[in-house]
Amino acid sequence: MPQASTISVLVVDDQLTMRALIRNALQQIGFKDIREAPDGEEALKNLLAKPANLVISDFNMPKMDGLALLRAVRSHPPIRQTAFVMLTGRADRELVQRAVQFGVNNYCVKPFTVQGLRDKIEQVFGQLT
Amino acid sequence: MDELEAIKVTFFQECEELLADLEGGLLAMQDGNDDGDTVNAVFRAVHSIKGGAGAFGLEPLVRFAHVFETLLDAVRSNEVPATPDLVVTLLRASDVLADHVSSARGLGDVDEAVSASMAAELKACTDPNAAPAPAAAPVVVEAAAAPVIEAAPALIGADDALDDDDLGFDFQPMTITIDEQAADVAAAAGNVWTVSIRPKSDLYRKANETALLLRELARLGPIQATLDASALPPLEFLDAEAAYATWTVRLETDEDENAIREVFEFVDGDCDLEITRGEAVAPDAALAALLAGDAPAPAPAPVVEAFEPAPVVVEAAPEPAPAPVAAAPVVAASAPVAAPTPAAAAKTQQIEVPGPGQSVIRVDPERIDRLIDLVGELVINQAMLAQRVGEYGIAPSSNLAMGLDELEQLTREIQDSVMAIRAQPVKSVFQRMPRLVREVASMTGKQARLVMDGENTEVDKTVIERLADPITHMLRNAIDHGLESPEERKAAGKNPEGVVRLAALHRSGRIVIEVQDDGKGINRERVHSIAVKKGLISPELQLTDEEIDNLIFLPGFSTADKISDVSGRGVGMDVVKRSVQALGGRISITSRPGQGSTFSLSLPLTLAVLDGMVVDVAGETLVVPLAAIVESLRPKPEEVRPLGPVGAVLAVRDSFVPLIDVGLTLGYRDSSPPPTEGVVLLVEGEDGSRAALVADAIHGQRQVVIKSLEQNYQQVDGVAAATILGDGRVALILDVDAVISLRRREPPRPVEPTLIAAE
Repeated sequence: MPQASTISVLVVDDQLTMRALIRNALQQIGFKDIREAPDGEEALKNLLAKPANLVISDFNMPKMDGLALLRAVRSHPPIRQTAFVMLTGRADRELVQRAVQFGVNNYCVKPFTVQGLRDKIEQVFGQLT
Repeated sequence: MDELEAIKVTFFQECEELLADLEGGLLAMQDGNDDGDTVNAVFRAVHSIKGGAGAFGLEPLVRFAHVFETLLDAVRSNEVPATPDLVVTLLRASDVLADHVSSARGLGDVDEAVSASMAAELKACTDPNAAPAPAAAPVVVEAAAAPVIEAAPALIGADDALDDDDLGFDFQPMTITIDEQAADVAAAAGNVWTVSIRPKSDLYRKANETALLLRELARLGPIQATLDASALPPLEFLDAEAAYATWTVRLETDEDENAIREVFEFVDGDCDLEITRGEAVAPDAALAALLAGDAPAPAPAPVVEAFEPAPVVVEAAPEPAPAPVAAAPVVAASAPVAAPTPAAAAKTQQIEVPGPGQSVIRVDPERIDRLIDLVGELVINQAMLAQRVGEYGIAPSSNLAMGLDELEQLTREIQDSVMAIRAQPVKSVFQRMPRLVREVASMTGKQARLVMDGENTEVDKTVIERLADPITHMLRNAIDHGLESPEERKAAGKNPEGVVRLAALHRSGRIVIEVQDDGKGINRERVHSIAVKKGLISPELQLTDEEIDNLIFLPGFSTADKISDVSGRGVGMDVVKRSVQALGGRISITSRPGQGSTFSLSLPLTLAVLDGMVVDVAGETLVVPLAAIVESLRPKPEEVRPLGPVGAVLAVRDSFVPLIDVGLTLGYRDSSPPPTEGVVLLVEGEDGSRAALVADAIHGQRQVVIKSLEQNYQQVDGVAAATILGDGRVALILDVDAVISLRRREPPRPVEPTLIAAE
């Protein structure tokens, strides 16, 4: 049973509000090591400088979108094993299918509850303590 | 929950930005920029507003945003063409969305009828064939290939029902363990160590040998050692017993740091040792490789490449490595330097395109204001110091004086930088204007298109806040009075849609705002006759076209035949002019009949500092704003002509200007000394009228920090503000316009300068 406080998370969203909300939800779950990036490009830079255990990323962002970030993460050996949870709107079914092809670990539909996000993360890592 | 409230505040702030992006994007589309990026940015703005609103349960906002988003999604995927008519509809929808945001924020209400009909219009645009569905009926088409149409309530209620089959397909989440990750990280970089060894001469003197150390290291795992002999001097300077070589060893081992350190146990203190986990190359190299091309980075960690061209590579071998000094080529070190260059290049490329919202720090404006105040104090303090040093007769070439000069420069730079922090693009004001233009145009039955230019022109926040009113008024005026009705325009052979241009630019240390319309221009005959009828000017007065145009700024002037809903609210251009002048600005108009008019408004870039001329008047020190001064001169007796019992005029080249003794006007003295004994500052007021201000002496030019007189004392006629001088004394900043008009009001009333000039 992994401890949430030992798992490092990178939150990627172009919207300050969403980043703040996700961070808030993660803190409620028990995460401590939380970083943020406003788009895929920044996120990738951030990960290469310092790997994270989990990436929670929005899809539609300027410059590098969530799907491109996922592909980049998976094609880059040092960070290839990073857990990747994609946040999507409800109508993005095709998008999730593509994300699955590129090796997404899970997805979470916006808007979500703290418990909803927790469930998704636990499906990846197992029950969190 | 407090934290959520704070996030909500952030959300509404972000909404303002998103609404601005939305409108900006739509306006760009209107101008024909309907490339994918623009349309996607427009979509993303609405999508983001909806997303945040959903998180806070702001239902009406979500519902409207959802309908809006659905249409934009269809536009994005080219299912619905972005015709000019559609863009106009989208712009109106963005106004309704803005109303919804304000309402959710508790600032005003949404006109439900308008919102409902707008939503219906958007739905009709999305799917022209669809029968108008009853608004409240939630239609959920799940997992269909067609665009998913769904009602917003379901979306909000979806909170507790986040099943995997949410999106209608079977998804098995991929599990991952932290251990796996750790192993992966170790495989990639974790068990790689970089050991840098810098032997001191003592190491060799004690009969130790680097080669032995390297061999010892090789027992822990495969090593790759790189010799840096760049410190090796030419032979004639070589000290045979000194150590010049350093080694960088890449070691792959499962042992921990202590095991590595143990190898160096016997040379402890005799060599500088640095053990770091991972590769020696910055991660940027890997990123650069990734960003450089579309192709995924090569599978083996690309950082290794940086090692390959290194000068000397000694493969770990059981045989002793060559002695450190022996035969090491002096060419070294060029390769390691060259290696990071592509990374650096890629980095620069990154910096060139900073995205919106990227690395932006949000700071409480009060903190910046405080900083600006403090820097103002610093400027004053520095000036005081400089003055003291001058008074003590310290030579300008002394270290102290030179140090002070440097301090002055630094202070200036700090001040500029701090002012730059508070500078903001005029965009924040400009972005409110398209909506105003749409509303005014529809109210007056005119067709108007707003073209904006120079939105990124920066100006101090204190000025920005006060730009909105004059711009609003000038725009209203341009549409209401400037533009003709579509019929009139057609009859005149013009495009029925009038163009109003709003532009901002920097010109000689000021910001200039221009509002230009392509309407009928000013009807000078009418303006003149109205001004005569209202007794504002005498009928005989011969005025130039320009002078007639500027009559509209006279108090009590209004040309509208009927008081229209838009401009005729009792606030005339004279009020605009006065408020602009109060900011140290000026406003003027130029007009060409049949082609339109241009309002031009110029303001100082900041209201915090001012370039001024420090003068002495009757023992008082005053500051005259430099912007008002045309020239300074010492009058000759023959240039001064008496006028009436106390007045006098000064002949400056071809014209006469009234001489004003500042000391007399401000009440510092009861009688004026002869002007020839003092200095005369030729000043120009905002209205272009000139006057010659008499002062006793000029001290020089200085940048002063403006301190409000109203805030600290009370308003004084003829004085704009106060400042603190280098010697710590308070000096008053002269309000040139007020001084000129004070003088005009004085009995006996002097004759108008234009008439003097005509004599």
